[in-house]
Amino acid sequence: MDSLTLIIAEQDGSTTSQELLELVSFARMLPGGGNPTIVLVGTARKDRAEKTAATTGCPVLALTGDHLGLYNPEAFCDAVLEALGDTEPAWICLAHTSTGVDLAPRLAVNLGATCITAVEGISGTTLTRAVCAGRYCADFTPSTACTVVTVLPGAFPPLPASTDTAGPVEHRAVSPGPCRSRTLGIAENTHRDSSLKDAEVIVSAGRGVGTRENISMIRELAGVFPRAAVGASRPVCDLGWLGYAHQVGSTGQTVSPKLYIACGISGAIQHLAGMRGSQLIIAINADPDAAIFRFAHYGIVEDLTTFLPILLEELRGG
Amino acid sequence: MKILACVKQVPDSSDTMAITPEGSRVVPTAATVFRMNRYDEFALEEALLMKERIPGTEVHAVTVGPERAGSTLRRALETGADHGIHILTPEVAYLDPFAVASLIASWARTRDYDLILAGVMAEDDMEGQTGQLLAAILDLPCVTSVMEARVRPADNEIDLEREIEGGLRMSVLTRMPAVLTIQSGINTPRYPSLSHVLRARRQAFEVMAMDGPALPGPLSRCTGVRLPEISSQGVIIAGTPREKARELVRILHEHAFLA
Repeated sequence: MDSLTLIIAEQDGSTTSQELLELVSFARMLPGGGNPTIVLVGTARKDRAEKTAATTGCPVLALTGDHLGLYNPEAFCDAVLEALGDTEPAWICLAHTSTGVDLAPRLAVNLGATCITAVEGISGTTLTRAVCAGRYCADFTPSTACTVVTVLPGAFPPLPASTDTAGPVEHRAVSPGPCRSRTLGIAENTHRDSSLKDAEVIVSAGRGVGTRENISMIRELAGVFPRAAVGASRPVCDLGWLGYAHQVGSTGQTVSPKLYIACGISGAIQHLAGMRGSQLIIAINADPDAAIFRFAHYGIVEDLTTFLPILLEELRGG
Repeated sequence: MKILACVKQVPDSSDTMAITPEGSRVVPTAATVFRMNRYDEFALEEALLMKERIPGTEVHAVTVGPERAGSTLRRALETGADHGIHILTPEVAYLDPFAVASLIASWARTRDYDLILAGVMAEDDMEGQTGQLLAAILDLPCVTSVMEARVRPADNEIDLEREIEGGLRMSVLTRMPAVLTIQSGINTPRYPSLSHVLRARRQAFEVMAMDGPALPGPLSRCTGVRLPEISSQGVIIAGTPREKARELVRILHEHAFLA
C-alpha cells in the first residue's frame, strides 16, 4: 500500500456508496491525495470491493474476517492498524457516520495522528467545520504528519461513477484478536413512525418554537396541507415536546418530502443530514444567522410565537 | 463501583459570542452566560441513576477549563456528584479534544474508575471526540452514542444499546472498565436538590492547575472563524410580519401546495 491517502469504510455497514464517492472527491482535494486507496473492512461475503474498484478506479484493499460483519471499534481498529504495518499515510478519511466518528479518534491515538471530525470544506491542509450549531465556520489545521478526518455526508459532490479502468483489488484475511466489547446485533428502534416517510409536506419544530404549548401551532400549520406530518429536531424530542417518532436527522429519520417547513430550527448538521434532500425548504427563525437559512429556498426572520398566528390567519383567510 | 462523569462548560447561547476583529476565534462577551453542556447533563444523570441502582457507587465529576468552569462543577455536585475535580487551564479560545482527553486521562489513569461517562459531544465545538480519545489513551473499550445502559456489577459487564443511522439501535456488551459517550434523551436530567445544594456549598473540590509545560500540546489548531456564507439560492422574504405571511401563502399557492 503506497498511497499517502486512505479511505476507510465498512464492507457491510452504514457507509453508503454515495458517501464513499463523496470521500473519494474529498480525498482528491487533499495535498497528495490524487490516488487514494480504499480500505473496506468486513466479511468476505459481499462483492463490494470489486464494485467499488470499478466505480472509483481507486485501488481497493478488502480486510475480511467473520468477526468484522458488525462494527466493533477494537476489531476494526486492530484490522486497520495491522494492514497499515509500517506505512505512514498522511491522511485517513472516513465518513462522519456513527461508525466513522466512533473509529476515527481511536485510530488517531494509535497512530499519533490529529483527528478532525465533521469536515465540510477544505483549502490546502486547512479543514473547515461548523461550530456552535452551525452558527460559525471554523478552520482547523493539523500539526502532525498523519491526520484522521471524518467528512460530513453531503458536503462534497460525489465522484461521478468512472468509466475508466477499475482499480486493483486485494483481499486480505484478518484473524480476530482479543476484544473487550462485543457487538451483538442491530435492531429497529421501536419508537419509529412511518408517517414522516410517507408525508409530502413536513412541518418541523425546533427549540426556537419556544414553549411546549406552541407545538399546537406547528400541528395546526401541518393540518393545512394534505398528506402532511409533524417533524422535530432532536432537542425538541429531548425536551419531551414531541416524541422521538417525530425526530428528523442523522440519528432520527431521513426524509425528502416535497415541502419542508423548518420552524425555529437552527440547522445543526445532524438535522440537516436528515432533510437536505427535501425539494422545497422554507425556514422560519428569529435568528437571522441561523445555519438553516443557508439551506432554505425561502427564509423568514421572525419570532414564531408572533408570526405563526399571523400566518395561520392568512392561510385561513386565503 | 466508581464512576467518573466528564462535564464541560459551554456558552448558554452562541448569540452572545463574538468573533475577534482579526477573525481568529470566537470569544465570550459581557453578555455571555455559561452552563453545563446538555449532553454532559445526560451523562451525569446516567451516572447518578447507576449510583441509585447499585449500592456503594461513588460518582466523581471532572471538568477541564478556566476558573469560570468551576461553577459547572459546582452544579454537578449540587445535582448529586460525590466529588469534583477541576482541571484548571488558562482561558484559551480553543483547547483541542486531544489536550482535553489527555488531561482527563492523567487524572483517571491511576484512580480505578469502573466507568467513565461523557456526553456524545459538546454543544460549542461539536467535535464528538473526547470520550473516544480518552478510551484510546487509557486503552479502554468505548461505546459511543449510548441510549440504554444496564450495568451487571457481579459480572463486571454492561449491556448497551447505541444509536446508529436510520433509527436503528446496535446492541453491545462490554467489559468494565469502559468509557461510554451518552446520547441526549437517554434519561431526564434532574435538577439540584436542596440537600445536595447545601452539601455542595460546604464541599471543596479538588483543583489541578495545568499551565505552561503541564498543558499537553495541541494536535489541531483553530486558525480562523467566520460566519458561514449564505447560499445564493435562498430568498429572505422581507416586509412586515403580515406582508411576509402573505408572500409565503402566495409562494405555497404558486408551488401548488395549497388547494
